[in-house]
Amino acid sequence: MADFAIEAKNINISFNGVQILHDVNFSVLRGQVHGLVGPNGAGKSTLVKILNGVYSKDSGTISVNNKEIEYKNPEGALKAGIAMVFQDLSLIPTMSVAQNIFLKSIPYRSGPFINDKASAHNALELLKTIGVNTEIRPTDLVSDLSVGQQQLVEIAKALASNPPILILDEPTASLTSAEIEKLFTVIQTLKAKGITIIYITHYLQDVVKICDGVTMIRDGRVQFTRPTTEITLETLVSAMTNNHNNEISWTHAAGLRDTTPLFEARHIHTRYLEDVSLSVYPGEIVGIAGLLGSGRTELLRALFGIDPILKGSLLMEGRPIVLHSSSDAIQYGITLVPENRREQGLILDYSVSENLIMPIVHRIKRFLFVDELKKNEISKKYVTQLGVKTQGIGQSVRYLSGGNQQKIVVAKCLASDSRVLLLDDPTFGVDVQAKYEIMKIIHAYAAKGNAVIMVSSEFNELVNYCSSIYIMRRGKLSEGVYDSLTEDSLLYMVQ
Amino acid sequence: MKQSVATRMTQVKWNNYVIYYIFFGVILLFSILLFDRGFLSGSNMMNIARQTAMTSIMAVGMTFVLSTGEIDLSFGSVVALASIVAAKTLNSSHSIMLAVSCGLLVGLVIGLINGLLVAKVGIPSFLVTLGMNGIVLGLARWVSNLQSIPINNDVFTFIFGSGDLGAIPILFIWTICLTVIGHLLLKKTPYGRRVLATGGNKISAMYSGIKVPNIKISVMLLNSMMAALAGVLYSGRLHGARYTLGENDVMIVIAAVIIGGTSMNGGKGSVIGSLLGAVIMGILNNGLILMGFSVDQQMIFRGLIIIVSVALTMREKSK
Repeated sequence: MADFAIEAKNINISFNGVQILHDVNFSVLRGQVHGLVGPNGAGKSTLVKILNGVYSKDSGTISVNNKEIEYKNPEGALKAGIAMVFQDLSLIPTMSVAQNIFLKSIPYRSGPFINDKASAHNALELLKTIGVNTEIRPTDLVSDLSVGQQQLVEIAKALASNPPILILDEPTASLTSAEIEKLFTVIQTLKAKGITIIYITHYLQDVVKICDGVTMIRDGRVQFTRPTTEITLETLVSAMTNNHNNEISWTHAAGLRDTTPLFEARHIHTRYLEDVSLSVYPGEIVGIAGLLGSGRTELLRALFGIDPILKGSLLMEGRPIVLHSSSDAIQYGITLVPENRREQGLILDYSVSENLIMPIVHRIKRFLFVDELKKNEISKKYVTQLGVKTQGIGQSVRYLSGGNQQKIVVAKCLASDSRVLLLDDPTFGVDVQAKYEIMKIIHAYAAKGNAVIMVSSEFNELVNYCSSIYIMRRGKLSEGVYDSLTEDSLLYMVQ
Repeated sequence: MKQSVATRMTQVKWNNYVIYYIFFGVILLFSILLFDRGFLSGSNMMNIARQTAMTSIMAVGMTFVLSTGEIDLSFGSVVALASIVAAKTLNSSHSIMLAVSCGLLVGLVIGLINGLLVAKVGIPSFLVTLGMNGIVLGLARWVSNLQSIPINNDVFTFIFGSGDLGAIPILFIWTICLTVIGHLLLKKTPYGRRVLATGGNKISAMYSGIKVPNIKISVMLLNSMMAALAGVLYSGRLHGARYTLGENDVMIVIAAVIIGGTSMNGGKGSVIGSLLGAVIMGILNNGLILMGFSVDQQMIFRGLIIIVSVALTMREKSK
């Protein structure tokens, strides 16, 4: 029998009647670094949250060290020897490194008091264990550290309880390439000390580079578990995109790129971007393909006037423009559908119509007041046009489904007569039918001579819906555009 | 990464020491301005110690509340109600133990209700305690019938406020003891660490196994108990209780804690800083009186200090 550090068998879980994981079997050999990969919404995070005790499974068993155990919360998981480093950093910024590392248990005391010296000493030992004691000191305030350094402190914190199993959830998402190299060294150090590591990531090349084994999950089912010696980047990529290609494809209008670009960026630099140039023509949908943390969101922020452009220029119909703020961008007819619709795109407790007219409220007033008739007329028009499923334009958007909420956000932009639409992952967390409808709306919008720049993690969408595609990698954009790509080649190129 | 280590090494956090500069600055200023009016005399210094004792003690509790990112606006009326309950109990039972216990019980009950409403029901502490302030003040006025309740028990008044041990006022001893305990509790015990963690980042505190609601209940309770104790001390010092006690203290205490370096956003707190803040407020008060300003003018001045000190902490945060 193989020596498994952790073995999960036949795990099932559903939320609101929707089954997320189907009989998942997931096991990791002792002392290995094991990659867990799969497309968005595949169930990776759900699985590790079960292993970590955040969610309770509906059925199935979990064994640690060949012993079956039950736990219902993260503390229980920790007792069983499973520690987790979360994707969103969970440090207390106002406390020192040592104080953060020992926050969970606060082990070093003399009488009723904390022994800060012993804490600092032991924190230093932990930092030495992962080999970062020269750059991070126990007395440093966490808010003074870089994101990469904070990530390393997170790891030290997770190691404080001496767990045999460590889960890392997308640890490289917000790190620079130098910091990623550092992290990989730390992972090798931990592996040498016999710690079993579960490594979740979107970067498939990192899996090939540092993992011993890999499990691929798709649609809540395990596709395969294999040692990395038996796989290549290509096999991972094709397994990830398999049977997605039966969706509808669009005919791309030819000859779009012969006129003057409607919107253009020339060699722009921001805090996050390096020398980015792109152009979008009337009637065109341009896709930006990149992984989480590649700088794709930052690119849209720069084009929308939120992040200041340090060098380079923006042009609208060949004329240079300067954006000092997002309201400047809206003045020029540029609108953004943000990444997080619930927080950035909508006021949840406002009605459908209030949300819809928000950007144009100054245009439909009568004397000093909002023209209610006009408001209802416009709202009804868009609700019908976009097929929003709502009980009426007076319903608050909180109670709409994700897909319908997203339609409202898109409608907001359309209602404001913009000519350039920036979309940040417009179909994230939206069901297939609504995805299709949203993309249909966007195509109709572009067909009227407007321009669309769209960021997405779903590469099959980019391939199917966009006429040209740029590749974004760690803050840099590809120089040329691609117009005939397959999903596989795209996924391969962003790595 | 290397470079940021270097910048961290050279960073001097003058903000952490600003309270000391203000402290000595204020003393120096008044020593010069009010030299001929006896500002520096021993009796005036002891006077300041007596006057600031209650606000210092309340500031200890408020430091914990602000450190978790909450606030308590009800403690002023807790002072009044606790003093009235203690005085009435003392006059009817003649038992000091019982009187003090009943006074503190007022703080316990109100603090517990505040805490439960904030932590379990989830109402913002600002609203809970604003409403509670009205309730408790109404109770205090009703129970006392708007009359002062005199206290003639010499042992009680000696221990709780009026006595001197040699040249040292007993209130000074209360202040020092409670400040030291508060300081150790906040900075040195696991409990204090959990309080600061709760204010620093609620979510990660939760993930670290800290029971955030319990911490919030405990700080609301602690603050209310400290206010009740201050009420008992007021009744001992003034030889009687009255519903107006504590009504001016809310502003002074919150100002003292913020000047002392505790962040209104939570996560950062200093009991020693709060003590110095309270003393600064006391000295300002004392100085303004010696200079001949009226009560009205003093109130305006105190309001200004709160706004300026909060503005300074905001500036520090945005850097």
